[in-house]
Amino acid sequence: MTATSVTSHLPFRATLLNRRQLSADTSLFRVAPDPQALSALSRFIPGQFLQISVPGGGEVPISPADLPAEDGTLELCVRRVGHVTKLLHEAIPGQALGLRGPLGTGFPVAKMMGSPVLLLAGGLGIAPLRSLLFHLLRHRDRYGELTLMYGAREPSLMLFRDELVALAATSDLRLYLTVDFAPEEAPGDYACAIGLLPDLLKGFRFDAGASYAAVCGPPALYRCLTGELTQAGVPADRILLSLERRMRCGIGRCCHCAIGQKLCCIDGPVFRLSDLEDIPEAL
Amino acid sequence: MENSYLEHTRLGEFLETLRLFGELHGPTVSSAGVAGFSALDDIGRIELDYGRTLIPPKKYLLHFREEILRFREGSYLPGGSAERSIVLFGVHPCDLDGIAYLDRVFLTEPPDPAYASRRAKLILVGISCQPDDFCFCREPQHSATCDLFLDGWQDGYKLNALTAQGEALTEAARKLLAQAPPSPAAPTGDRGILPQDPQLRFSDNPLWDRFAKLCLACGACSVCCPTCYCFDVREYPGLTGLGVRLREWDNCLFKTHGEVAGANFRASRLERLRYRFLHKYCGFTPLEGVVSCVGCGRCKAACPVDIDLRELFDPGGQNSGTVS
Repeated sequence: MTATSVTSHLPFRATLLNRRQLSADTSLFRVAPDPQALSALSRFIPGQFLQISVPGGGEVPISPADLPAEDGTLELCVRRVGHVTKLLHEAIPGQALGLRGPLGTGFPVAKMMGSPVLLLAGGLGIAPLRSLLFHLLRHRDRYGELTLMYGAREPSLMLFRDELVALAATSDLRLYLTVDFAPEEAPGDYACAIGLLPDLLKGFRFDAGASYAAVCGPPALYRCLTGELTQAGVPADRILLSLERRMRCGIGRCCHCAIGQKLCCIDGPVFRLSDLEDIPEAL
Repeated sequence: MENSYLEHTRLGEFLETLRLFGELHGPTVSSAGVAGFSALDDIGRIELDYGRTLIPPKKYLLHFREEILRFREGSYLPGGSAERSIVLFGVHPCDLDGIAYLDRVFLTEPPDPAYASRRAKLILVGISCQPDDFCFCREPQHSATCDLFLDGWQDGYKLNALTAQGEALTEAARKLLAQAPPSPAAPTGDRGILPQDPQLRFSDNPLWDRFAKLCLACGACSVCCPTCYCFDVREYPGLTGLGVRLREWDNCLFKTHGEVAGANFRASRLERLRYRFLHKYCGFTPLEGVVSCVGCGRCKAACPVDIDLRELFDPGGQNSGTVS
């Protein structure tokens, strides 16, 4: 059996270092993978995913929220929604976890060089796009104008806000934040727009024909945003969508994650809109 | 060994010889009248005129439920146990095609460890058959993808060794074999299924709605399909920090199949039937364009409400066109 097939099936060990609560149900976990995993993780491309195991609970696919640090540690932004993610939220620092990956396709960061990039995140969709953002900022001179538009349902659900504001102040990044609703008792408390992401995009002037757009968010967001982006003139093969399906095995075998005839785990999770046009059930 | 011929009267001795190569399994019929492959401790239990087994031979390669990983002292370790050699006798060509398809799924990079170790120890002896009303196979007499094929002819079988293993079986049984009589006629008609247009799943054919209303979502068509392999993964903790990860057959007709946290991508039966159509007749990547239906007729025989998805691309009710 080759080394690849062992790592594809057998999780390597990782240790939970700490957890930072970002909202009522979402936390950022820093994990330290076993040194033997570092060469695999060094090939990580933003948008790829890892299968995270909580021993005794099971495995869930998560896209890392940053790039692996020099010591190999990385951050996972996870919402508590199911059995495994609940156990992860209850885990204490030092607990053993398992990791497989990186799996799937990432954002085509090499092809995107030289082009303006527009990142569109809705809700928890900021997690994989934060990883892409870090990559673009790390190689800032290789990319054109960089814009991040991030929409959350309400101010308390906006993740990484202080960090993003600080990044926009210190680096060449245009940042637009918006919330769907804002409680009346706290007017002027947050420097962000009130409204939906597609509305924010409507008034945005950019070189659409030359830009790449990377989108990640809940299914409803894709349907609205792809229309707006296409109308603005972004070519369908430059609209990049990170999709979610029930990826069990992560290596194209269990057949839970099919989107049309494509498998989200090996053909995705990052798809070009042009690849999805004949698949009505994709979005 | 060319032109070897085994007379019916020596079949028992031949099967005993096969035991030298591994645990002998073959078609039997249970006391409840259900045909299935099982261990042939007693050669007399073999039922060669078995039509089709309820559960296909995929069960030898993909166990219904199996441990794939275990968790011990902070690490995951490979699960499973050492496999024994099995000689599976009396497999029909359609089921051999089914195994050949599963090989394409599970032996490509990265090979599945459990499947690969079992497949390496599974010796396949095929046998020709007579199609019945449910069959729509590619070529009932063909003898592909097995170690040794027994082609029924007159009062016995012409032996065709297709691998070195098959030649070893033939060699071991040499004293039981005779010279084959003149060659049988060419294989009979080819009634296989051509790859279908994926867009057919959104066709306005009223059959889609009829099938969706009829379907009980019982999943019988998938359980008994020789090429249905999708699986679910479950993990269970032990009381003392141990744990096991299991995988078990899943079923695309079940509502849970398309669930994600907070949503379901295939909540309706119509969507699930379309999903099944796509996988069977159009193929998922990396086997896009490969039909995985081998024409064994099990789904047609097992469906309690007589759904036959082939009608969607076969409006005349005839079997689909000849494969060129």
